[in-house]
Amino acid sequence: MHLKPFLLTALDSATSGGRRYHLWMGSLTLIILVGAYAYYVQLRYGLGVTGMSDQVSWGLYISNFTFLVGMAAAAMMLVLPAYILHDVDFASAVLMAEGVAVAALVMALGFVVVDIGNPFAGWHLIPGIGYLNWPRSLLSWDVLVLNGYLVLNLAIPFYILYNHYAGRSPAKNKYLPWMYISAMWAVSIHLVTAFLLAGLPSRPFWNSALLGPRFLASAFTAGPAFVILLLHFVRRTTQYAIADGAFSKLALVVVAAAQINLVMLLSELFYEFYSPTHHGINARYLFFGLGEHRALVPWIWTGIGLNVCSTIVLMIHPLRHNPRWLMPACATLFMGIWIEKGIGLVIPGFIPSPLGEIVEYSPTWVELCVTAGIWALGLFVLTVLVRVALPIELGQARSPYLEPALVPPTVRPRAARPRYEEIRPVRRR
Amino acid sequence: MSDAPASDVPAAETPDQAGGRSVLDKRVDRRGALGMLLGGVVMGTQALGACAPLSAETDEAREIKLLAWREYIKGNYRFMTEGERADTIARLERLAQLQRGVDVTIQSTGAQPGVQFGYAFNISKCKGYRRCVEACINENNLDREAATQYIRIFEMEDGVLDLDEADATFQHEVPAEGHFYLGTQCFQCADPPCVKVCPVGATWQEPDGITVIDYDWCIGCRYCMAACPYWARRFNWSQPEVPREEVNPNQHYLGNRARKKGVVEKCTFCIHRSRQGRLPACAEACPTGARVFGNLLDPDSEIRWVLAHKRIFRLKEDLKTEPRFWYFTD
Amino acid sequence: MSWIRVDAAAVCVAAAWLASGCREPEMTKGEEPPKTAVAVPIDSATAARNASLEPGVLATVQAVPVERWKGPGDRPFEVARRSAAPEAGHSRQFGTITLPIALRTRTAAISQYPCTSCHLGRKVVMANKRIGDAHNNIQPVHPDQTGAVCSTCHSADDVALLTLKSGERATLDESYRLCAQCHFPEAKAWAGGAHGKRLDGWQGRRVVMACADCHDPHKPGVEVRIPFRAPQLERTRSKVP
Repeated sequence: MHLKPFLLTALDSATSGGRRYHLWMGSLTLIILVGAYAYYVQLRYGLGVTGMSDQVSWGLYISNFTFLVGMAAAAMMLVLPAYILHDVDFASAVLMAEGVAVAALVMALGFVVVDIGNPFAGWHLIPGIGYLNWPRSLLSWDVLVLNGYLVLNLAIPFYILYNHYAGRSPAKNKYLPWMYISAMWAVSIHLVTAFLLAGLPSRPFWNSALLGPRFLASAFTAGPAFVILLLHFVRRTTQYAIADGAFSKLALVVVAAAQINLVMLLSELFYEFYSPTHHGINARYLFFGLGEHRALVPWIWTGIGLNVCSTIVLMIHPLRHNPRWLMPACATLFMGIWIEKGIGLVIPGFIPSPLGEIVEYSPTWVELCVTAGIWALGLFVLTVLVRVALPIELGQARSPYLEPALVPPTVRPRAARPRYEEIRPVRRR
Repeated sequence: MSDAPASDVPAAETPDQAGGRSVLDKRVDRRGALGMLLGGVVMGTQALGACAPLSAETDEAREIKLLAWREYIKGNYRFMTEGERADTIARLERLAQLQRGVDVTIQSTGAQPGVQFGYAFNISKCKGYRRCVEACINENNLDREAATQYIRIFEMEDGVLDLDEADATFQHEVPAEGHFYLGTQCFQCADPPCVKVCPVGATWQEPDGITVIDYDWCIGCRYCMAACPYWARRFNWSQPEVPREEVNPNQHYLGNRARKKGVVEKCTFCIHRSRQGRLPACAEACPTGARVFGNLLDPDSEIRWVLAHKRIFRLKEDLKTEPRFWYFTD
Repeated sequence: MSWIRVDAAAVCVAAAWLASGCREPEMTKGEEPPKTAVAVPIDSATAARNASLEPGVLATVQAVPVERWKGPGDRPFEVARRSAAPEAGHSRQFGTITLPIALRTRTAAISQYPCTSCHLGRKVVMANKRIGDAHNNIQPVHPDQTGAVCSTCHSADDVALLTLKSGERATLDESYRLCAQCHFPEAKAWAGGAHGKRLDGWQGRRVVMACADCHDPHKPGVEVRIPFRAPQLERTRSKVP
């Protein structure tokens, strides 16, 4: 009964807003359209318009895919404590995190679709009408788990929001089991993506037991970092109250994962360079270049530098609790992980080729525009989801079929709580 | 539905009050605006669609469309019945005729029983002439625009059998003093990593050992290219172009028939020749006799003699892919 | 009872049929090859198959059975005639182009043949060193390296034949018998299939090239050539207007 007003309210929430909001959505739409045109060019002329080659057969698209699957997985980092351990601090942040998961998944699936050479044959993947080579092919596992995770992350928040909208509390026994499954599923989607790469003995750069754990560590660094940034933005621009505990606990997760990530990086560096073998030639290309082929060297060292500096900042307790330090640190950590895990992982796996040929890679305008378009699409989806969820969570959006008196607001108005700056004034220089 | 924000907009006018104002001044709410936009789009596409019959669509174009549609919805060749295979081959031959004006014969010859192909390459005899490469390009209808080559010939310094130090781009008189030559292509491994990773099962190994690809089932994800330790697979980054007069009309469905952009391809030991008892083009073209090809299951074959009497090795033996391609010396 | 009789008969028939299959396959020994070169006729089935594959693959190749050497599994094999018509089977069609498949092109072969066209069957006086004469196209690199002279290999009594150390004579189609006297490891590999080229497919009758098809017996070194074009490492980018 409440479905139609729910959807109409959602549409309303998503399409109404001030000038800044419309400017934001408008520019995102513009970037999406540019990306769509670039994708049309790619469809028309083939993947030859990208910078990929027979030697470097995966490039920017799969780099982004790898990174974004990690982000999607890490959103569930919040789910576990919030729902299962009843951590009140996290409760307010969970729906935002699920929104991030959905947006990241949409982006990841988008990158896979644009990377495929024959996308109209995509129906071949559907078991039943096509043929899915499960369980032998890790990519078939990836198809199943990513789509399943997307369905879970759409269904559970939908259920919760819809119930809030309809003025009743969602039944724990209906969604809690799925939450448990979703939390485990989150770890599995990223492990499957890691195994996809790690299971190839032809690529010694990836073929290590450490790749799966590295993926999880970097995912739990970048994902919560992005969620912190999002929550900070939501806190500053809306009335939605987010507990300080959410920030401090998330930041703790970020720094712990960042430290583990650095330790794993150290482990990899030792393994590759202490006793260099033929298998380490990809790492030598990445970190030091081979002859005059040095395209990725500045990238990886910048990435590592960003990671190390952000981790050090976050390790300092007072800085971690100060938004002026926390937010830039999270942003730089996010960028550093993107470099290290995206282009610093996928592309060096191909250079040199298994027969020792060195062909370097640089993305073309088509790849850059399509990538920008998909990121814009992800941010668009995220904005829509957050804009839909917030009025419901703030108690402002309720089904017209309800009596107003039956529904008390679920969140205390923001005015009653002190703002952070009032209790801990920021030093102005 | 939320109320419209208070602004300096005048209250809605009645149609009488509208009077001489143009229809463009009419105020609508958001929902109405979306509805009108959609209606306009729908009407516009109808109008465009109505214009289509004005362009002359020939019978040929219609036939091509129908054939292309039937080809699009077909299943994986591996699981087709004999009848379905015959149908798809007939369609492909007709399409080649209509679209390119070439008369081709596409075989669907199956593996001969009791045959497992093996290949041996003599690195003492190879002089780097690349005659095999030339023959392969012409025999397999390889893309001339992208200059695809299935075979790679590496020039190595005497005493250093290291692919990292080898050079495949040599273009000088061969054989060069103090160097030797080694060629690679798809080795049709007995435990192929490429077959394992394909998400749609578009590549598989036939009973006679040749790893084949159904080009129409491949989605172009290139996972197999990442998985191959010998860099044997090639991708069609753009529409492959072969001049019409250079097309080899003797084709096999799983081998050298016309491929399209966005799919993977590779050496198939010239499946259209080897299944007829002939040598692959590379083995036949080699002027020095450095290439030996035959049936591994025949104890009296030359390939078995080489494996029994010569010092042989394979590339990346430790990966346990069990390639069917050995190297030996004089 | 009748069914016992039927069963017994069936068992006997089955046993007989099985027993017939258990016999060792008879090794069909080939007949002794004739002493003089004789063109082996190509059977019609093989000719038909060859013709269906590509015109002129084996239909024009004249082959001689190989003496004294057996292929893998002790199977006899044939060698292409050296002295047959020049265009016999030494180039092949690959797609729409034709490429020579031997190291030596056929026309650089025996340019002055048959020998009797000049020597009229008369005994030839061979000097120890090649002097300026009708055979000045021959550069005796290999003889000079090995200390051989013309009469080491060529028969003075019948210049169309080669002399072997055993005193026997071999035709020009049987050059392998001569070369094998010194190059016995290569000859063994040639018979086994690791050396030289096979003219037909991997299946069916085995016809190989003789030594002199690839190696100029007077100047056998491998020649230097310009190879076919090198691969492009950088992919040609798609042209986007």
